[in-house]
Amino acid sequence: MSIWNYVVTAHKPTNVTHSCVGNFTGPQEVNLIIAKCTRIEIHLLSPQGLQPMLDVPIYGRIATLELFRPHGESQDLLFIATERYKFCVLQWDAETAEVITRAMGDVSDRIGRPTDNGQIGIIDPDCRLIGLHLYDGLFKVIPFDNKGQLKEAFNIRLEELQVLDIKFLYGCPKPTIVVLYQDNKDARHVKTYEVALKDKDFIEGPWSQNNLDNGAELLIPVPPPLCGVLIIGEETIVYCSASAFKAIPIRPSITRAYGRVDADGSRYLLGDHNGLLHLLVITHEKEKVTGLKIELLGKTSVASSISYLDNAVVFVGSSYGDSQLIKLNLQPDAKGQGQVVTCSGAYKDGSLRIVRNGIGINEQASVELQGIKGMWSLRSATDDPYDTFLVVSFISETRILAMNLEDELEETEIEGFCSNIQTLFCHDAMYDQLVQVTSNGVRLVSSTTRELRNEWFAPAGYSINVATANATQVLLATGGGHLVYLEIGDGVLTEVKHAQLEYDISCLDINPIGAFGREIIPRSVLLCSFEGISYLLCALGDGHLLNFLLNTSNGELADRKKVSLGTQPITLRTFSSKNATHVFAASDRPTVIYSSNKKLLYSNVNLKEVSHMCLSILLLSLKGNMIAFLSVKKIFFVNSLAIAKEGELTIGTIDDIQKLHIRSIPLGEHARRICHQEQTCTFAICSLKYNQSSAEDCEMHFIRLLDDQTFEFISTYPLDQFECGCSILSCSFSDDNNVYYCVGTAYVMPEENEPTKGRILVFAVEDGKLQLIAEKETKGAVYSLNAFNGKLLAAINQKIQLYKWMLREDGSRELQSECGHHGHILALYHEEGAIEERARDYNANWMSAVEILDDDIYLGAENNFNLFTVRKNSEGATDEERGRLEVVGEYHLGEFVNRFRHGSLVMRLPDSDVGQIPTVIFGTVNGVIGVIASLPHEQYVFLEKLQTNLRKVIKGVGGLSHEQWRSFYNEKKTVDARNFLDGDLIESFLDLSRNRMEEISKAMNIPVEELMKRVEELTRLH
Amino acid sequence: MWKETREREFGNIRPNLFSSRISKSRVSSIRLSNYKEIVSSHRGSVNSLQVDLTEGRYLLAGASDATVAVYDIERATDYDGGGLIAKHKSLFVVNKQHEHGHKYAISSAIWYPIDTGLFVTGSYDHHINVWDTNTTHVVMDFKMPGKVYRAAMSSIARSHMLIAAGTEDVQVRLCDIASGAFAHTLSGHRDGVMSLEWSTSSEYVLKSSSTAQSSSAKARAPQKKLANGNALKPHAVCRISSQVKTAKQRSHPGMLSSHDRATGHYGVVTGLKVTEDGMYLLSAGSDSRLRLWDVESGCNTLVNFETARLQSSKAIQMAVSQDSSLAFVPCMTTAKAFDIWSGQTKCTFRGHYENVNCCWYDALNQELYTGGNDRQILVWSPSKSISDEVDEWRKEQAATVDQDNWSD
Repeated sequence: MSIWNYVVTAHKPTNVTHSCVGNFTGPQEVNLIIAKCTRIEIHLLSPQGLQPMLDVPIYGRIATLELFRPHGESQDLLFIATERYKFCVLQWDAETAEVITRAMGDVSDRIGRPTDNGQIGIIDPDCRLIGLHLYDGLFKVIPFDNKGQLKEAFNIRLEELQVLDIKFLYGCPKPTIVVLYQDNKDARHVKTYEVALKDKDFIEGPWSQNNLDNGAELLIPVPPPLCGVLIIGEETIVYCSASAFKAIPIRPSITRAYGRVDADGSRYLLGDHNGLLHLLVITHEKEKVTGLKIELLGKTSVASSISYLDNAVVFVGSSYGDSQLIKLNLQPDAKGQGQVVTCSGAYKDGSLRIVRNGIGINEQASVELQGIKGMWSLRSATDDPYDTFLVVSFISETRILAMNLEDELEETEIEGFCSNIQTLFCHDAMYDQLVQVTSNGVRLVSSTTRELRNEWFAPAGYSINVATANATQVLLATGGGHLVYLEIGDGVLTEVKHAQLEYDISCLDINPIGAFGREIIPRSVLLCSFEGISYLLCALGDGHLLNFLLNTSNGELADRKKVSLGTQPITLRTFSSKNATHVFAASDRPTVIYSSNKKLLYSNVNLKEVSHMCLSILLLSLKGNMIAFLSVKKIFFVNSLAIAKEGELTIGTIDDIQKLHIRSIPLGEHARRICHQEQTCTFAICSLKYNQSSAEDCEMHFIRLLDDQTFEFISTYPLDQFECGCSILSCSFSDDNNVYYCVGTAYVMPEENEPTKGRILVFAVEDGKLQLIAEKETKGAVYSLNAFNGKLLAAINQKIQLYKWMLREDGSRELQSECGHHGHILALYHEEGAIEERARDYNANWMSAVEILDDDIYLGAENNFNLFTVRKNSEGATDEERGRLEVVGEYHLGEFVNRFRHGSLVMRLPDSDVGQIPTVIFGTVNGVIGVIASLPHEQYVFLEKLQTNLRKVIKGVGGLSHEQWRSFYNEKKTVDARNFLDGDLIESFLDLSRNRMEEISKAMNIPVEELMKRVEELTRLH
Repeated sequence: MWKETREREFGNIRPNLFSSRISKSRVSSIRLSNYKEIVSSHRGSVNSLQVDLTEGRYLLAGASDATVAVYDIERATDYDGGGLIAKHKSLFVVNKQHEHGHKYAISSAIWYPIDTGLFVTGSYDHHINVWDTNTTHVVMDFKMPGKVYRAAMSSIARSHMLIAAGTEDVQVRLCDIASGAFAHTLSGHRDGVMSLEWSTSSEYVLKSSSTAQSSSAKARAPQKKLANGNALKPHAVCRISSQVKTAKQRSHPGMLSSHDRATGHYGVVTGLKVTEDGMYLLSAGSDSRLRLWDVESGCNTLVNFETARLQSSKAIQMAVSQDSSLAFVPCMTTAKAFDIWSGQTKCTFRGHYENVNCCWYDALNQELYTGGNDRQILVWSPSKSISDEVDEWRKEQAATVDQDNWSD
């Protein structure tokens, strides 16, 4: 790999960090605004449900998201503050349906230490000021003037150091904040302050309350007429105001989020750390609070934000599970029940997600049919734009299906077809005719009257084995190597030519560009033309596909390329989508072959085991397939594919573009580490299960073995009490041909700060069971394992230890420690049984993940959401130079990376440029899956120029700067990004309007088509 | 560490909280290092220690025998104890024999904050020298009116290159490296200035403390706002003086009179340290008291620090941990770690044979460096669990020695 890297998001963040409800897009429209870390989504609440309006990236990690309405405005404005101390106020422009920036600015200070508990941003309910708590001991105030414009910000000193929450109180003549804080003795108190805008200082507020619940962490301001504040603790909930103090005990829980139900603030939804949703009611008489009541509503995903929409519908945003829309049953006395209406994906602790890239097929209808041998679609008339019939062939019969008026599949009959025999081929022919080829002969049928018009019989003693046809010709082969060519006339079938070949014919294809045969042992051949170029595709029985360029004038084949698509025989069929020819290759790994920029591309289809495929037509240019399907009722299988799976026929629409498909397999427990073993076709995971039923939360840890196809648990090895799996590896050792799973564990004793004991367990998979072969005790947690020259390298607490796989005298095997090394290591070298440090990066970083890009270049991710690359200077003149890792690339990703892995999300093919680009995949805490690709220098320079030009044309939401956003940033320094490119920005080129593309094309001095082509190539990396 | 790593991986704790928790737990466990030793090149008491602010890698030490040395604290020069104990010898030493070396004790040695190419030393021989690190040549020399007690450069300054010098003289002098001249003299003290510190929040604010025993009020001298640019312009000077006055009157009028004596120091203020966020100032006095001041208001925060005897004859160099939770203070032959907010002693570091003069806290590795009159520089670090291996190695050593004896 190289130092020039291209970083792109393959799967957007799913962690919902904030949400709010208000009238953002119009005075009468109710919007749900969701922040997903670095993106915001704006939805409109409509009778049909939530309707997405906008999904835009923000150049920053969102720290605060608040809706507010200054005086004189008819709709709400959106306030966003980012973790890098930028803020902006956004307004919806109904005319252009775009977000416009009302104000933006920087609220960073050189003074001060960033708060530990996250940034707080709040807006005065009467819109007099915005309050921000960004640094310990400081409260920043951005005042509004009379016209609702923001004035210059200033800081007020806040004496309380450990601030947990700050909120504005309702109904105060002067803006008043309430502060929840912890003192030096870890006791928690609340205090109120009035903000004196003129003096730029605080004045002691109307009340304070000392010694609250030790777990108090959340404040909820109560709107008028009640006013005051709710303090949510772990064991109590307290209502506090200048005149009243009410408390109720609750079951111990940590409340993570709240949502207000009524405008008068008498009911609130509280979501806790176990995903339980409670309703808190403030009972009051004549605007005087008389008490609090809490009741359990049900279980949801663990909420990170709750927004009450309308009519008892609640949005529960979650960091750990799927976000949900919930319908509450708020009858006064009934216990409500949570009913899930829709789901959107998110990082779920209890599931395995299988992420595949490719074209998805959305099921539209399915019929149960056993033993399908082949399928074809036919039209009722030659000029009919859509297919009407679906011919399904079985071993001893042929059935015909048609879509009825209710859009249901119904069995029908074509009288002229022979239905008690297997159909070998079917096709539409000229003059409103249909051709059916069976083993006995060829039948020509009128598609209007459905009557037989002509028939051709196979020579006696021979039956037809394979056949193909187009609108005017039929080519068929019978036993004994006979090849017969027929021509279709109006009601006539004429045998034109007969030839005898040496061997039996295995497959045929006929197409207007000329018939062709070729003697490889193919299972399917196909002639087709993509973008004006003719190809011969030839699928072999072992899952390989050959493609040749075909010269149509002399019939010569050139440019042979071989690609492996799967392991099973492939059947090829063409279909058209978006007015372009596509080829569907059905095998154990179905693939769609298409051409772009005169290159053949292969894309996985996310459907398992497709044996035959039938195509239908697309003549409308469709944006959403389903819409067209519903509005014009008689269209049959518009842009749909009918696919035969085992015993089932599925009809689905095909996605326009290839995209990531995620299959979720709920485990009900938290999988922490995963590893695949090719030889045994299994996955092994380290998982943990929380047991919440007992009084104390306890965890159980397991090593589980899963089948790599079905993802079913095959075998489980429970770990000891307090033992926790922390690393897993599939490897083999020198002098031993078997493959093993090695698991590193730690014994986590509650009283110990750092584990002092752990184990390395070596398992073999025998008969689908995990068999413990050897175990070795270690003096600490085995944080990481790696195979190294046939030995096992383990990271144990602060030490690196190398283990050798030894054969004992009794034939059993054990791990024997060989050598160790203490301290920070970035490059290791193994020599004569010693581990020595080769090089070091002297810039201290809190790292979270590391990967070797090549011998000399290493990639790291660190705590402040940055990526960096370092290079070892092997050619250095001095030891000092050779031992120093030089930082060569820096980039702010804005995401916390948990793991890097070498590999790719897309199929790697030899004949595409992209196939040559090495990639690393990463996964982050917020559910982002991203790709880092190392580019050749020439391409990097080109894209860097494109990125610079795109920055000028694409303005960040809220006026935030892309350059600043991507600059490397930590406590010590901020430097511009280098040797990394933002693929998300570059690929957004394709979404630009034509004239903006032209603007860039002019600046770059490169034609738009060329730019599009090059950017499109990059999108194929993910 | 174990728990935090897991929580961070799950996304339960913010990464900055992760790092501050780990740092905190590491710093709370620091002991005399069992894997790192600095081989002192000094033959006099070590008066000043500082790790460079850019790379966090080079330790600069100034000592009473007029030597100044630089140690690489990341890369060991050799190993002892079976490769488990790293020894760090000095990269270079400048002593009296050097053609431009100081004649008398070096009271402070500081790095140029922007890079490691320059460092500054102040000495009792009335000179402040600016050195080129690579060639160890003096590139600039300031002649001061008396013994230099302390020199300081602003760690955040981007628009000036001023060395503030506290000497026997009543005035604080600002030496400009860019021009080689004195940019300012700051008057306000009535006696020599023992200690001074630049603010870490504003590059134009300097805090100094005086040896003036007559007035405790002077113990915490007021902020001095310096104008940017050419200091020779008279109006700039005027503005400074007026600002000093307003600052005094607004924030702490009591400090100028005898009303507020109780909160100042009785006697010499021997050390000053500003917290990392620039909001608090810690002062140490010869009255063996530590006080914590709110910088903005100028008020004593009234934190009651546990009594500890402090060295009164000499300036001391204190250190504060990065999250401003711990203060490291030389207390006679020990160094102590105080909790800044409660004033309690968290830890006592015993290891020096004589008085400790200076502390430096390395926030990157959570290590504490102390220098004392016993000419040693000691490293205090979070312990590594290698003791058993060291024991093993010692046993092996002993065994081989025994064997040798037997074979003889």
